[in-house]
Amino acid sequence: MRKLSFFIFLVCAIGYNQNKQVLYDFADLPQTLLLNPGAEVSQKFHFGMPLFSQISVQGGFTGFSTYDIFADNGIDINDKIKTAIDNFGKTEFVGFNQQLEVFSGGFRLPNSNYLSFGYYQEFDLLAKIPRDLVDLYYEGNTDLNRRYSSKKAAFRTELLGVLHVGLSKKINEKWNVGARAKIYSSVFNASSKSNSGSFYTEDGTQNIYRQHLDNINFLMQSSGIFFENDEEFNASYVKSKLLFGGNLGLGFDVGFTHHIKKQWEITGSILDLGFVNNTKNVRSYSLKGDYELEGLQLNFDPNNPEDYWTDLKEEFDNSIVLDTLYKSYISFRPVKLHGSVSYAFGQKYDDCRFLIGPDLYVNKIGFQWFSTVGVVHSFMAGTLFYERWINKYLQTKLTYTVDPYSFSNVGLGLSTTIGMFNMYFAADNLLSLNNIYDAKSASFQLGINFIFKDKN
Amino acid sequence: MKITKFIASALVFLVFQSCTKEVDFNQLDDANINTTYNSTLVYLNLTAPKFLDQFNQEITETFDLIEAPISTDYKAYLEKLEFTIITKNGFNRTFRISIIFYDKYKQPIYELQPIINVPENSPEITTIVEIPKEDISVIYNTQYFGFHIFLTPSDDGSVITINDIATLNLKSSAKLYFNFRKI
Repeated sequence: MRKLSFFIFLVCAIGYNQNKQVLYDFADLPQTLLLNPGAEVSQKFHFGMPLFSQISVQGGFTGFSTYDIFADNGIDINDKIKTAIDNFGKTEFVGFNQQLEVFSGGFRLPNSNYLSFGYYQEFDLLAKIPRDLVDLYYEGNTDLNRRYSSKKAAFRTELLGVLHVGLSKKINEKWNVGARAKIYSSVFNASSKSNSGSFYTEDGTQNIYRQHLDNINFLMQSSGIFFENDEEFNASYVKSKLLFGGNLGLGFDVGFTHHIKKQWEITGSILDLGFVNNTKNVRSYSLKGDYELEGLQLNFDPNNPEDYWTDLKEEFDNSIVLDTLYKSYISFRPVKLHGSVSYAFGQKYDDCRFLIGPDLYVNKIGFQWFSTVGVVHSFMAGTLFYERWINKYLQTKLTYTVDPYSFSNVGLGLSTTIGMFNMYFAADNLLSLNNIYDAKSASFQLGINFIFKDKN
Repeated sequence: MKITKFIASALVFLVFQSCTKEVDFNQLDDANINTTYNSTLVYLNLTAPKFLDQFNQEITETFDLIEAPISTDYKAYLEKLEFTIITKNGFNRTFRISIIFYDKYKQPIYELQPIINVPENSPEITTIVEIPKEDISVIYNTQYFGFHIFLTPSDDGSVITINDIATLNLKSSAKLYFNFRKI
């Protein structure tokens, strides 16, 4: 069991980015509207296969890979663990993001705007692990005067349902803009950020050592994790909270597509400008204070025996104050920013050299930029991509991404449309396919849509 | 057509190459994370009155007790416990210090060996005492730690008086050796 849990930790807890760089602006898929509500789509209407229109899993751990520890290469596992710890950065992060689109659809309005809507469930986890805490666990505190700081320790996790409706509007031949409104229903939320404090040991004066908890300031806010009544965390509870029985919130996405010239295009979007108002089953813990201990001074006074242990506990409790708070709080969703610039080229001709679809270019190359801004962690990623129609049924996209996990992240997207039936698959870190255990991050999205094009 | 072939070839290359290299998760059975923590313990600075009774007569033994319940959370991982004790004696008398572990009924269950001998007028002396691995489980039944200080008779018959300005100092720390085998 412990092997399984450790394996799950290493493999499943790999990664976090929410950067769907392959799917972004790919093949006119309806799902691109979730990444840029101002994306251009050409269909008359669409609907996604319920529960299968988008399954998305992403993960990464910047510290080390499963292969770093478990490679069957004759090196002692303890040496490999030591190497992994030695190479651990000042702060590494681990995370996991999963989305399941329950239903989705959209149709073109009489004024030619495209209205899309849907509902998806999302689970999100991110934890920042400072090296100091790893060293304190791995080596102990025998390094005198070293301050083991919890300053960079932070985490957030949430499970929520999102109902959304968006509009993509073509303003003119050059501009397309869009916006999406979201209602969040949170099952649970927990986060801890902006922590401070350190632990250190120094030579004492009265005793051998003096130990310090210095400037401790820790806050963890949670909702839907600790229950005040008879509620239990089970399937029916999760279902009811996902379906708007949870802590509610609002969010917005905005985006645009701009054709600088006929073949040049820039796009951009800001996603999840929103918050959840956590009012149900709220419990937060705050820990604050300073404490130093040189040891217990024994007085050897049999006439007045002291209760050293109780005195010590009281002194500690008075110095490091733990408060439990039941106050509502607002949690902000991590904001995602996308941008791209692309150049389309290569028009298609029939056998007689007549142009087929004067607006259709077979190839597109470009650069995408992604960043996420959150109170726990922010990061950026850059992607070069090449997109191509293989034939009239199949579109592909090849990406090369540089992000905090890797400088060699190659991704591939495939989208096939036969009649109204569309199926797509996107995955990254393909260079790790020869040894998936060595991947520090991975992601994939897949789904099935029914897309109805305008006969004109 | 060339680009189509290239992409098709790339796909075949990616899909048909081996997905994993050899890994062995059974190695976890051999994993050991050996971690050592230092903890401060008790100290004392005892002056002459601590060795005198209400009539200012020298006593041969004095005693103090600390309640310190030990958590069993890390029982499976604690492999060795080592105490460092530094003594300094300004008295013209030799002391013997015995540290005894008591259970919740205040019954003695273990005595730390060896008993610490503090010679008369001695400078700082460091003594390291280890609880052997086979005895380590005793600490989980320990509720109290007792410190017994015995005065040995002087060679010349002199005794400690209320006017004696000497002190007996003791400093201590514990070093806990963990082996986190069960990750």
